[in-house]
Amino acid sequence: MTATPQRHRRGAFLLLTMAVLAIAAPAVVLAQSGDDKAEPPSYSKNGADTCFKCHDDQKVLAVFRTKHAVPTDENSPFGHGQLQCEACHGPGGDHAGRVRRGQERPPMVRFGSDSGTPVAEQNAYCMNCHLTNVGFAWHGSEHDNNTVACADCHDSHVERDPVLSTATQAEVCFDCHQQQRTQSMKPYAHPVRHGKMDCSSCHNTHGNTTDRLLARATTNDTCYDCHAENRGPYLWEHAPVAEDCGNCHDPHGSNYPGMLSMRAPTLCQSCHSQSGHPSLPQDERGLPSGTPSQFLLGQACLNCHDQVHGSNHPSGSKLMR
Amino acid sequence: MFKHKTRISRTLVAPLILLAPAIGFAQADTSDWACESCPFDKGYRAEVNAGATYVGEDGAIRFGNATGYDEKGGYANVDGQGRYVSDGYRLDWMIEDLGLSSRVFEMDGGRQGTFGFHVGYRELPYRRFDTTRTVFNPSTSDTITLPGSWVPAGITSDMSQLSSSLRPQTIESDRQVIDAGADWKPAKAFRLYADFRRQNRDGIDITGGSSYTQSSLLPRWFDYQTDLIDAGIQYGTDRASLTLAYYGSYFTNQNASLTWDTPFTSGPGAGQYRMAMAPDNDFQQVSLSGAYRWTQWDTVAAFTLASGSGEQNEALLPYTINPGAGAGPLPRSSLDGAVDTANYALTVTSRPLPKGRIKFAYRFDERDNKTLQSDWNRVVTDFFVSGDIEQNVPYSFERSTISLSGELVVWKDIRISAGGERKEVKRDFQEVAEQTIDSGWGQARWRPLAWLDLRVKGGATERDINRYDESVAVSLGQNPLMRKYNLAYRYRSYGEFIASITPVESPVSFSTTVLFADDRYNKSLLGMTDSEELRATADFSWAVSENSSVYLMVGYENIDALQLGSEQFDVWDWSAKHDDTFSHIGAGFNWHQAEGKYNIRFDYNRSDGETTVDYLSVSGGPSRLPDLTSTMDSARVEVAYRWSDRIDATLDLRYESFEVEDYALVSPSTIPAVLTLGAQPYDYKVWALGLGFRYSFGGGDITLAD
Repeated sequence: MTATPQRHRRGAFLLLTMAVLAIAAPAVVLAQSGDDKAEPPSYSKNGADTCFKCHDDQKVLAVFRTKHAVPTDENSPFGHGQLQCEACHGPGGDHAGRVRRGQERPPMVRFGSDSGTPVAEQNAYCMNCHLTNVGFAWHGSEHDNNTVACADCHDSHVERDPVLSTATQAEVCFDCHQQQRTQSMKPYAHPVRHGKMDCSSCHNTHGNTTDRLLARATTNDTCYDCHAENRGPYLWEHAPVAEDCGNCHDPHGSNYPGMLSMRAPTLCQSCHSQSGHPSLPQDERGLPSGTPSQFLLGQACLNCHDQVHGSNHPSGSKLMR
Repeated sequence: MFKHKTRISRTLVAPLILLAPAIGFAQADTSDWACESCPFDKGYRAEVNAGATYVGEDGAIRFGNATGYDEKGGYANVDGQGRYVSDGYRLDWMIEDLGLSSRVFEMDGGRQGTFGFHVGYRELPYRRFDTTRTVFNPSTSDTITLPGSWVPAGITSDMSQLSSSLRPQTIESDRQVIDAGADWKPAKAFRLYADFRRQNRDGIDITGGSSYTQSSLLPRWFDYQTDLIDAGIQYGTDRASLTLAYYGSYFTNQNASLTWDTPFTSGPGAGQYRMAMAPDNDFQQVSLSGAYRWTQWDTVAAFTLASGSGEQNEALLPYTINPGAGAGPLPRSSLDGAVDTANYALTVTSRPLPKGRIKFAYRFDERDNKTLQSDWNRVVTDFFVSGDIEQNVPYSFERSTISLSGELVVWKDIRISAGGERKEVKRDFQEVAEQTIDSGWGQARWRPLAWLDLRVKGGATERDINRYDESVAVSLGQNPLMRKYNLAYRYRSYGEFIASITPVESPVSFSTTVLFADDRYNKSLLGMTDSEELRATADFSWAVSENSSVYLMVGYENIDALQLGSEQFDVWDWSAKHDDTFSHIGAGFNWHQAEGKYNIRFDYNRSDGETTVDYLSVSGGPSRLPDLTSTMDSARVEVAYRWSDRIDATLDLRYESFEVEDYALVSPSTIPAVLTLGAQPYDYKVWALGLGFRYSFGGGDITLAD
């Protein structure tokens, strides 16, 4: 039987197909074997314009009211040549592509501890851009060690991120730091619960080489930002004051005036035991119903020893001048 | 014919599908990503909230603490925020509580990626007492005087002019903060920044002005100013960052001293006393910090080197204001005080295993007080020369800390971490010259389900000392058996449990924390001997529907402490047991009408604090001081009504009650040897009603660009 024209064309197509396979397949294999990894997903066809076909609600579009969507900043996700939505949410080619019936649409990177995307992966996307100003300090910090996601505190899809505003920052921190929230409700505390002072006034929350993520080198240096009148150096210093304000104060809140960790005289008597009035028990005998005692009532020890943070008076060695 | 085409199509498509991955491997080509639909920000929009609030009760100055609502009456108020964006330039502004003494103004702007600036102004009122009264004349200077009719007496109950001379004196102050700053990126990897902040704080505070055996609580006027400067140069790439920074803090006090008339009878020439106020001082620091990242094991090393210097050279007052006290000349006219600081830190974190990470940290902090020592011939409370020559003590210390910690994911959802730390502290002139604090801790974290997170942590710390130098204690007149609370040997153990339940598809979430800590000062015969601490919290939230949610939060804290003392200057003969408790409960809901106009929010908070102190002494037997208690209830309802797309009306109703019982607050004549200000414990109930209108300029829903 001789070959008909149709048979010739069919054969040519088969030959062509085999030729294409012979040429292309090695390229695929080489590309795969170069990394020994699964094929990485692809990016979308048109970037954000692709995403908007499905995602155009107000929450999504709010990103355009933030610093993440500034086209004139070449480093912004929406800067010239950048990856737009996929800069943060990862390649979206598979997610935006055709999905077979019964198959689940491949997910994108989502943010937050309950998003399903591992925290390390989420944070890695943030660090792509924020490594220099945040990432180096974050690495190995307390928050990083406790797998806190950047998105646990930050919201990139609102015009004004609550954690960046003094009035609302503490509420974000208190989601996890519940014990500090309780302390901030004590009768004597910094004005955090009023929204007039924020946690980052004292703490560098992204990480630091300091103790407890303090904003300055030491506890005292941090306190002196606002309370420099206690810095001295004084002629007559009070040793525990010069070393650590936390020896006597509880900065998150206290039941006692001045945010003291205990009130005078017992606070003072945990260190002072000189003969005479410093070592006398100031019990109910000193109440107004007994013999009203200047060592118990009023400001107790501070009725006379008011210069408790130190004195610069030549006669001030007893912190009374 | 159709069938043929189908078969041919399949024949062609198959290899193309196989080829597809090869094409997908290429870098994303974003040149065609025109972002045609992107609704980039431009133009101007703002919203302004103007209204008035009426505070319905008087005598609640503490309600104004930090809020500005410190008196009964009406307050006008304005809040707002706005933004202008054009061609990459942006200007943001915000005002808050403009009509109140807690007002805030902030403005920032610039061209993102090139430069930025910010300016701000903030006020913070501190309202302490409005029940206080004083016999002293009003004063906003460094001198406090008595009325001309005053008759001194030996004790307060004998002060014949006391009742007639008392006048109200509020104890309050205000803080104003001005700040301005800018940053500039001259090149991709560089950033320059500078920030300046000036804080002014002035008002009336309470100061104890003492004589040898008596004291007056004085309504002292103060006026402080602190200037802060932060400036630096940053260099940063994907691999490394480096920052050279300067920090300067400059404090000035308008009043170098406080002089006051004594209301008590006194010796010749001693009708006035004087004390030194906080001296002007400054502190400057230069720091170099940076980090480097290696890809090997994802290792990052970060360091900080900081060197600082603080000075204080205020002219010294004479030994006494009393010319008859017989004081001699001062050894020098000013302190010439100087403190050098050094802060060094190095941290290295690395991931040698895919599921394991380690961290090494070293830290050194030093305060080197270089102030010269001199001999001082103290005059006792402006009365007489003590006769003892005393030397000023320039306290210095060094703290070095080294720590190592590691973390390992031992199974899919279980993460184990542990660490140890040694801190060494060296001090001058104190009872403990060397102190070593060794800590160890371990934590297990388990996430068996995506919505369940459990954490258990425990550890112990031993603070040991080389020697408690009793000779130093004795030289200071201390009982040699006393062990100061911050210097004594201490063993601390603690445990913590944290649980979080946040089902993804569920509207309910719950979390709780519990911390227990136990401190033992095993080697202290006097002073603090032990302490226990318990903290517990719980949070619950429920998104009832798409339009409403409720929350409940509870917190509890209890601290017990025992200290021993000796009135016989021997072994312990009295004890004081402290029991501090605090609890807080907060609840609320939020509801907004679906597709509607109303939004309602309600918040309620209640907190209770209580402190009891039980004494047991040889001389007095068992006794208990009256409880120190505080109770606060606060509630707030906010209703917003959307009048139109641009206008909202708001109604804000607040209630707060605060009651304190404090045995220490007594009338001016209660204590024979102390003339107090008669502050009364807080006890108020306040309501405040606010009405406002919010108008929006520009803005509106964001729509895709055509």
